[in-house]
Amino acid sequence: MGPALKQNLKRKVAHTLDLPSEVLLDQATIHLMGDAEVHIVNHKGLVGYTRDCIKTRSIQGMIEVMGSNLEIVSFSSSEIRISGKIRQVMLT
Amino acid sequence: MISLWMWWYGYVTVRLRGPGLERLLNKMAELDIVLHKVERPTVDVMLARLKVKDFRRLRPLLWDSQISVSILDKHGAPFFFGKFRHRTFLAIGLLVSLALMAYLSNFIWFIEVSGGESIPTEALKEVVADLGLRSGVARSVVQPRLIEGVLLKQFPTLAWAQVKMKGTRLEIVLTERDQPQGEYTGPGNLYAAQDGVVTEVFVLRGTAKVRVSDTVRQGDLLVSGEYYDAHGRKQSGAAQGVVKARVWYEGVGEAALTRWEPIYTGKSHRQYLVTIGSIKIPLGRSAPKETHIPSEREWQLSLGRAMVPLRLTEINYREVEYQKVSVPRQEAERIALQLAWESLLRQGVEREQVREERQRVDFLADGDGIRVTVQVEVLGDIGLFRTH
Repeated sequence: MGPALKQNLKRKVAHTLDLPSEVLLDQATIHLMGDAEVHIVNHKGLVGYTRDCIKTRSIQGMIEVMGSNLEIVSFSSSEIRISGKIRQVMLT
Repeated sequence: MISLWMWWYGYVTVRLRGPGLERLLNKMAELDIVLHKVERPTVDVMLARLKVKDFRRLRPLLWDSQISVSILDKHGAPFFFGKFRHRTFLAIGLLVSLALMAYLSNFIWFIEVSGGESIPTEALKEVVADLGLRSGVARSVVQPRLIEGVLLKQFPTLAWAQVKMKGTRLEIVLTERDQPQGEYTGPGNLYAAQDGVVTEVFVLRGTAKVRVSDTVRQGDLLVSGEYYDAHGRKQSGAAQGVVKARVWYEGVGEAALTRWEPIYTGKSHRQYLVTIGSIKIPLGRSAPKETHIPSEREWQLSLGRAMVPLRLTEINYREVEYQKVSVPRQEAERIALQLAWESLLRQGVEREQVREERQRVDFLADGDGIRVTVQVEVLGDIGLFRTH
């Protein structure tokens, strides 16, 4: 079974059983607190880190957080907390 | 945010230097190493905080990379208490002083009384001493409600008493009853308290000696205490009644047309003051008040609810130069008028009673000031009771 088919099947199961899709599909969740803090849960690794841009991988693609004075408040295998002046959050 | 839990277990600030720092961070995450407050000052340098036990697991990850790691700082309880390992007596001294402070904060060291000005201090001290309240008494022994009850009983002039304990300080707040005024104690007459023209005479007891539109001078007899009863017998009692009159008051206020204003030069000088109980220890020199304006900030050392008699005061002396500036006439007039009214209020005039008001503005002889004279006509009771 290919990965696309597997994901599709998981999505259908989640929809049928009314389960949260981020748990079953391992999807990234992004919480944005005003323009000062971002929490990214279920990331798949850090790709780039500067004071203006932080890039992380996720199952959906690349998550880019752009702004100024960005700082990683905490970094673990499942979660990244970013603080600073957030200008843009992008999924590419 | 570094949690208290992390502080308790100890953490280190590390500097990671080299290429591919993001890859190293991902490897650390795979090993469940959590990083806090990750900073990126330059492209090849990263600063991060991690637990001491996680730092030990970091070494194998660096073997096959070109990244170097160094500890910049150590924080937390293990390092804090580690300092005391070779300084046993310092640790003992710290513990003993903390224990002593905690123990001493269980006692009342300061007793403050506010209000109750007419009550003699010695009498008050005696009463509270009889109740066992003195400097150095244990907080647990003090019964505020009992002391309040005894104070109210011992001093009948008190309307309210409150005993509050604030740390090592005990506050006694007293409020006295308002004394009843105008009580007639014996035979006497009503005399004019000031000059005026009588507008109304109302006698409750006695015989009126003035009529409406009479002009009276201060001290003139208004109502005599002597009167004839229903049987025609002459009686001598306390005169009672209301004699209203138009009375004039004059208030004068003066204000300058120039004033000296301080201009900050930008230079400043700081002095610290350590206050232990009633002793003040200055650290640094003060500056002359003629050329400096001081501003103060205070810090009071406290242990929870307990106040420790140790205070630090920072006095910032900002240097000024005084410059003569002219005051607009309207502003000078307003100030002078305010002063004139303050003078009238001190004479007992109430604004609500004023029937007519006249103002006169004059320049002072030296031309550097202004004088405002306010004359007001007031309708009021001028009767003043005096015994024979």
